[in-house]
Amino acid sequence: MTELITIPGRWEFDYTYFAGEAASRFFGELKDSRRIMGVRCPSCKRVLVPARSFCDVCFQRTEEWVEVGPEGVVETFTILTAAFAGMPKPPVVIAYVTFDGADTALLNVLTGLDLSNISDAAHRLQARPRVRASFVDEPQGRITDFTFTLL
Amino acid sequence: MSTRVGVIGIGQTPYKRAHPELSSAELIWAAVDEALRDANVDIDAIDVIIAGVAPDALSGENGVEKTAVLGSGKPFLRVNTGGATGSSATFAAADYVASGRAKMALVVGVERMGQATSSQNVFNTVFDPIYEKDFPLTTITMAALRASMSMRVYGYTSRDWAEIAARNHRNALRNPLAHLKLDVTVEDIMNSPLLAWPIHRYEACPMSEGACAMVLAAGDVVGSRSVAWIQGLSSMTDSYAMGDRINRAEGSLVDLLTLELSARRAYADAGITDPRRQVDVIELYSPFSSAEAMTYPALGMCAPEDGPRFVQEQLADVSLPVFNPSGGPQAANPVSATGMVRIAECALQVRGLAGERQVPDVVRAVATGQGGATQFSTVCVLGAEPPE
Ligand SMILES: [Zn+2]
Repeated sequence: MTELITIPGRWEFDYTYFAGEAASRFFGELKDSRRIMGVRCPSCKRVLVPARSFCDVCFQRTEEWVEVGPEGVVETFTILTAAFAGMPKPPVVIAYVTFDGADTALLNVLTGLDLSNISDAAHRLQARPRVRASFVDEPQGRITDFTFTLL
Repeated sequence: MSTRVGVIGIGQTPYKRAHPELSSAELIWAAVDEALRDANVDIDAIDVIIAGVAPDALSGENGVEKTAVLGSGKPFLRVNTGGATGSSATFAAADYVASGRAKMALVVGVERMGQATSSQNVFNTVFDPIYEKDFPLTTITMAALRASMSMRVYGYTSRDWAEIAARNHRNALRNPLAHLKLDVTVEDIMNSPLLAWPIHRYEACPMSEGACAMVLAAGDVVGSRSVAWIQGLSSMTDSYAMGDRINRAEGSLVDLLTLELSARRAYADAGITDPRRQVDVIELYSPFSSAEAMTYPALGMCAPEDGPRFVQEQLADVSLPVFNPSGGPQAANPVSATGMVRIAECALQVRGLAGERQVPDVVRAVATGQGGATQFSTVCVLGAEPPE
């Protein structure tokens, strides 16, 4: 019987992502003005949040910038309850929120909710609660500059 | 379709967490060898080879098929549409044959993810690096975001998810190739650890390794072989951003709009007007039981608001199609191959070669594929008769 050999491997590398002009402006607004910005599609008229440089449904460039929020409504959520390698320590709530004035929803972490009873917390989030974008003390121009907090 | 296309050869390794005795090339070779034998052809008869490999990082190397299938001097393509990789690769092969560019095509999908110990970390890289990757967005949390929304919008309960999972696991007990063979009750499933609310461990797919291969042939070279005819196939993309689909009037994030449109077109090509009665078997690409429920309305089984009722109906009404006689992806999810496995399982059912998991008298079967954040959807109809 041949002894079966295994060869250890590791796949890890650094990378730099270019955010592009629209997302750079979106992040700049977070950092400098603590504002959430969307763009209006000239064709379907939807206010797309987070901002991007074109509407992929209509294939139209988006040039009109619109401030949305800072309040909105939780559309859906999950509470990560198990530990996975490379993921943050549970429990963590992530949610899609439609900001007031927006037609699309944006993903972020929801903080400040009592998670001592997961089922109770889930029940509360299923009621589509209203939330606000709460900014960190020193915004860095990243999507992590704010979290959702319940009103 | 200009030329009739049929599946004449199928090869599958067992699906399991690890195949320590086989290199990735050997895993591919095992499935390909079996498919060629089943088709009763040798590699010289093949005009094109198409491989399906989803995120390369899951197999720890780029182009995992490179040492396996390239020596024979054929045109070659590699396809990656996430979870739909296996079905998209099969569609590419079918299109080669239908267009007359190939008489026979070999398609193979392989998955080695069992050794990717931080697979959820790899899956995080399939999401948008600009706006999303900083959050714990993975295949599991993505499914959970949809599951909680379908509970709110359509009234599904945790018990619905568990009942679907129980049926899939029960079916897998009859499939010798299945990775998980769990003899579990609805209560066992509801009591299994919560991964991400509302999804429990036994409502989620395992990390499986294995390979699947098929030989597709043009009608004029099928000869007397046992064949499952492709009666209709359709694929369609959707906007990637899940947040863009949440408020969409024509079909929200939990309505699987492009799966519905794909099904409509594939059914039309196959002459299906009443899928509840004209389809005998459905093999779903649904790695989570909650994702399975979202396919029911999209596949014409019920109105969206009747989804929760259909969960009970499909368990009780024997005139309905049999869902996932193989156990589906909850029993084995070799990601790169899973979409192909759905088509292969349907073809086995149509050819009457599905062994212990065979459903009696299968005339027509439907296979789905979904990939990424469901921005890719495929529907394939296979039948005992060639298309009109
Ligand atoms: Zn538009």
